[in-house]
Amino acid sequence: MDVTGFRNTPTLRYLSFNSVFFFDDEGTPTGGFNLDGRAASLMDQAHRPFLAPHEMANATPVAVMDKLRSASYVSEFMQVFGSDIFDTGDAAFERATFALQQYEKESAEFRPFDSKFDYFLAGKVQLSAQEMRGLALFNNPTKGNCAACHSSARLPDGTPPLFTDFTYDNLGVPRNPDIPANANPDYYDLGLCGPDRTDLGSRSDLCGGFKVPTLRNVAVTAPYFHNGKFATLREVVSFYVRRDTNPEEWYPNAGADRFDDLPPQYRANVNTTEAPYNRQLGGLPALTSDEIDDVVAFLKTLTDGYQP
Amino acid sequence: MQRIILLLLICLFPALPAQADEAALRERIDMLSKELEKLKHEMEDMNSRTEAIADQQQAVNHATAPGAQENASSQVSIWGYGEINYNRPTDQSRDSKMDLRRAVFGFGYRFDEDTRFTSEFELEHAVVSADDDGEFEAEQFYIDHNLTPNTRAKLGLFLIPMGFLNESHEPTRYYGVERNFVETAIIPTTWREGGVGLYGDTRQGISWDVGVTTGFYLGNWDPTSTDGQQSPLGSIHQELQNAKAKDLSAYLALNYRGIPGWVAGASVFTGKDSQGDPSVSLASGSRVTLWEAHTRWTPGNFDLSALYAMGTISDTADLNATFVGNPTLIPKEFWGGYLQAAYTFPLGGSRSLAPFARYARFNTGSKYASLPAGLNVDSLPTETVWTTGVNFYLNPNVVLKADYQHFSGDYPGDVNQNRVDLGLGLEF
Ligand code: HEC
Repeated sequence: MDVTGFRNTPTLRYLSFNSVFFFDDEGTPTGGFNLDGRAASLMDQAHRPFLAPHEMANATPVAVMDKLRSASYVSEFMQVFGSDIFDTGDAAFERATFALQQYEKESAEFRPFDSKFDYFLAGKVQLSAQEMRGLALFNNPTKGNCAACHSSARLPDGTPPLFTDFTYDNLGVPRNPDIPANANPDYYDLGLCGPDRTDLGSRSDLCGGFKVPTLRNVAVTAPYFHNGKFATLREVVSFYVRRDTNPEEWYPNAGADRFDDLPPQYRANVNTTEAPYNRQLGGLPALTSDEIDDVVAFLKTLTDGYQP
Repeated sequence: MQRIILLLLICLFPALPAQADEAALRERIDMLSKELEKLKHEMEDMNSRTEAIADQQQAVNHATAPGAQENASSQVSIWGYGEINYNRPTDQSRDSKMDLRRAVFGFGYRFDEDTRFTSEFELEHAVVSADDDGEFEAEQFYIDHNLTPNTRAKLGLFLIPMGFLNESHEPTRYYGVERNFVETAIIPTTWREGGVGLYGDTRQGISWDVGVTTGFYLGNWDPTSTDGQQSPLGSIHQELQNAKAKDLSAYLALNYRGIPGWVAGASVFTGKDSQGDPSVSLASGSRVTLWEAHTRWTPGNFDLSALYAMGTISDTADLNATFVGNPTLIPKEFWGGYLQAAYTFPLGGSRSLAPFARYARFNTGSKYASLPAGLNVDSLPTETVWTTGVNFYLNPNVVLKADYQHFSGDYPGDVNQNRVDLGLGLEF
C-alpha cells in the first residue's frame, strides 16, 4: 500500500460509450481504455488493478482466484460461470474481469445522467446566470473552445453529452514533482508512446498525448490531469488560458523549459494551434479572471446526483 | 365568366331606339342570341385550350422528362440528367474546384392507363464510399394514380412542390451554373418527403397540389457546425432515411396558368419538428413553416421571374439556451428572394443562347429567439448575390453555362467569394 503510482486515477463513469482504440479517417487517435488507451476493453482494463504493485498488489492471477474462492458470492460466481470454473488455468480470473466489465457496461450506476446540467437539458431546472455564462464560454470556439474536445452536444442517437470525444491531445501539463518517479530527470510519462503503452513507441508525434477525459463529475474528482498536477478547477482553467500568455505562472523555468514534463524533442507536439491555447506570450488570455470563475461554475453543474 | 361577358355585351350594344317597332326588336334579339351562341362556343374552345396548356405544364412538372424514351412495350421509361461544374473564386483561385455535381437516372413504369411509377436516383460528387464526400440517394420513388380526369394521387417519396427549382431542377431548366441561393438555402432543394398528395387542375387554369408528408427533425440540428447557417432546413431534413415520423407535415401549392406565358403561384409547408423525441423535449412544440410565392412571365423570347420565400422555426428559445456559445443556433426566421431576367436568341438549328441576370438577397438567420441576458445572438447579415451569365443550348437538352457571381454580405461558410462558374448540363 505504500507503493506509489505514476498517474492520476481516471473515472469509470460513462465509459460504456467508449470504444476500442483506433485511428479515425484523419489519423486522430481515438478510444481505448486507460489514459493512454492501451486496454482494448473494460475487461482488458480490469486486469491491471488486481496485479499492479501500486494498486491491489496481488502477485499473480492465482492469488486473485484464491481470494475469489473464499468470497461470500463465490457460489453465485460458479453458478454463472460453471462449477468447474476454478479448475482450468486462469479462467476464473478472466471471468472475474469479464463480470466487472459487464457490471460497468450494464449498470446504470455508471451513467446516471442526473447532474444539474442533465436536468437543465431536460427542461427541469434553469442554470444560474453565471453557469449560463460559463456554458457559453465553454462552447464558444473563440473563447474557451472547451467543447472542441469535451463535446457538449448530444450524440447522434440523442444520448446526453459526454464531455469527451475520446480523442487524445498533448496539453503540455507541467511536471508534477510530487510523483516520486519524477525525481529521476530522465523519467517521462509520455502517454500514447510509452513507457506504459508499448505499441506506439515509434510514433514520436504522439508522445505526450493523453486521452480527453469526460468532465462529468470533474468537480469531485480532483486532482486533475494525468499527472494530478493541479488541485483545483480554477487552476486547471487558468492553465488552459494562461499557459501561452503567462508561462511563468506554470513552469519553474519558463524561459528555457516550457512544457517541462516532456523531453525537449517532443515539446513541439504540444497543441499550440487551437483555442484557447493559440495565444502569444504576453498577449490577452482567452478568458478573464471572472470568465474563468464562470467556466468553473459551469463545470460544477456536471456532478451526478443533483437534487432539483 | 359567361355572365360577365353577357353584361359586357349588353353594355356594348347601344340602347335600343325608343321608336323601334316590334319586328325590328325581334330581329335584334335574334341577332343578339346568335352572337351569344357564338361567344359560348368560343368560350368553350378557350377553356379546352387552357386545359391543354395546364396539362402540358403538368406533364413537364410531374411526369418524365420530355425526351424520356419508352421501350417497345411503352411501359418502361428511362431518363436522366446531370451536371459538371467548375467554380473559380476570382481572388482565391487555389480554391477552384471541378465536380461531377450530380448524375441522376430516372426509371418509370406505366402499370396501366391510370397508374404510373416514378423514381430518380442521384449520385452526387462522383464517388461514394465511407471516406468520400459523395452520396447516392433515392430522390423520388412514388406511385401516381389518376382518380378522375382532373385529379391524381401520388404516394411514396416525392418532391415538395415549392418554388420553381425543387420540382424542376434539371440543369437545362434554370439559368446559371449553380442552383440559385434562395432555392437552396431557404427552400432546401432537392427537397423530398414521404407521404401522400393529391393534385390536379381546374378549368380556370389553376393547378393545385396538397398533401400530408414526413417533415423535419430538430434533433439533427448541429450547433457546432455551420451547416445550419448555410441552409437551416437543409440541415434538419430527413430524406426519408429512417425518418422520425411522429409528427406529420402538410403542404398546399397553388399555381395559376390560365394565361399562356404567365404563371403565378404560392405554397406553404408546415409541420412540427420535434417528432416527440426526448432529446429535443425542450422544443416539443416547435414547428417549421415555410411560405413561398413566385411568378414567371415569358413574353416572346423574354423569361422574367421572381420568387420570395420565408421560413420560421418556432419555440426554439429553450433548446437554443442549451447551445449557447456554439457557432450555430436555431434561427426563428429566415428568408430570401430573387428577380431574374433572361432573353433567348435562337441561333439556327436547335441552338440558342440565353444571357441572363439574377439578383438575389437572402438571410439564413434573420431572427433568433431571445436568450438569457448577455447571451443573445445577433442576426446573420443579409447576403446579396448578383449572377450574370449565359446558357448556351446545343439543343434543348444539352446546355453549356458560364456566369460570374458577385457576393456582398457575409454569408457563412466558404461561398462568400466572388467567382466564375462554368458548367455542362444535360437532360434526356
Ligand atoms: C484540444 C483538446 C482540448 C481542449 C480544447 C480542452 N481540453 Fe480539457 N482536456 C484535454 C485533454 C487531452 C485532457 C487530459 C490531459 C492530460 O491529462 O494530460 C484534458 C483534461 C481536462 C481536465 C482535467 C480532467 C481530469 O479529470 O483530470 C479539465 C478539468 C479540463 N480538461 C477542462 C477543460 C476546459 C474547461 C476547457 C476549455 C477552457 C478544456 N478542457 C479544453 C483536451 C482538451
